[in-house]
Amino acid sequence: MEALEHLYQHSVIPLNFFGIDLTITNGVITLWLAVISAFLFFFLSTRRLNQRPTGWQNLVEVFILFVRDEVAGQIKHDRDKWLPFLLSIFSFILFCNLLGLVPDMSGVTGNINTTAALAIVVFVVVQIAGMVKQGVGGYLKSIVPGGLPLPITLFMIPIEIVGQLAKPFSLALRLFANMFAGHAVMLMIFALIFVFKSYFILPLPVIGNVAVLAFEIFVAFIQAFIFTYLSAMYIATATEGGH
Amino acid sequence: MDHSLAFLSAGLGMGLAALGTAIGIGMLASKALEGMARQPEAAGDIRTGMILAIAFVEAIALYALVVCLILATKG
Repeated sequence: MEALEHLYQHSVIPLNFFGIDLTITNGVITLWLAVISAFLFFFLSTRRLNQRPTGWQNLVEVFILFVRDEVAGQIKHDRDKWLPFLLSIFSFILFCNLLGLVPDMSGVTGNINTTAALAIVVFVVVQIAGMVKQGVGGYLKSIVPGGLPLPITLFMIPIEIVGQLAKPFSLALRLFANMFAGHAVMLMIFALIFVFKSYFILPLPVIGNVAVLAFEIFVAFIQAFIFTYLSAMYIATATEGGH
Repeated sequence: MDHSLAFLSAGLGMGLAALGTAIGIGMLASKALEGMARQPEAAGDIRTGMILAIAFVEAIALYALVVCLILATKG
């Protein structure tokens, strides 16, 4: 499994604070690069804003309008208030996904720790948003559908709690599995060379991997979109109340 | 410990997961194309929904892939 090596973490700068392991790994460096490149993308292309957009400003406008209308548009009452959060998540995941495709970069979204951290952030934000919007009691009441007989309500409470906890789990696992599977499929296609031990098999892995890589670029966009889309959907159901 | 059954179940499991996903994506795409043919003006919306739904179906196969990889790399 050496071809999957970039998904595993190896230490670059060992760091230890009072027994807490804060080692700078190659994954951490890729995360920094993703943050810096996302920042530079938005910062540099919005330097000279124009009424008639040209060049990079066009690209950024497409980005922001897409997230505003397709993703944040589900949160009807305060779409523009949630746009910064959703846009940050979207661009961060997108840049992580795309950097993971660059050779010698660590595929950070192909690591369950990154996606789990992102999903926990979304989970906490959803719960707090619901409590701020409807009050703590109102939010807890709105998790369980109202207007049911008492025995069924008692039966529904554990199911709804599990449903709430399953959301971040599925978010984390979906992003992780999609990004990991792309690398695993590429590894398996490369493994054909070692299985057949022949030069004549070479065109197949090369063409196959170019095709898979092109598909992976598409998947990078789709998965960033789906993660943000589902986050927006959870925020919308938590803040609007009821089912 | 003999791991042969783990390898067997990894292969069989991935095959079955791919079968289910293929049926799901096939049904999705056929219905979406039908809808696009009937209402070409709604083709854009249908395509967006179709891609979104396909990604959800695909994710289930990928859950299976993760489990199968764990099984297959056991030996």
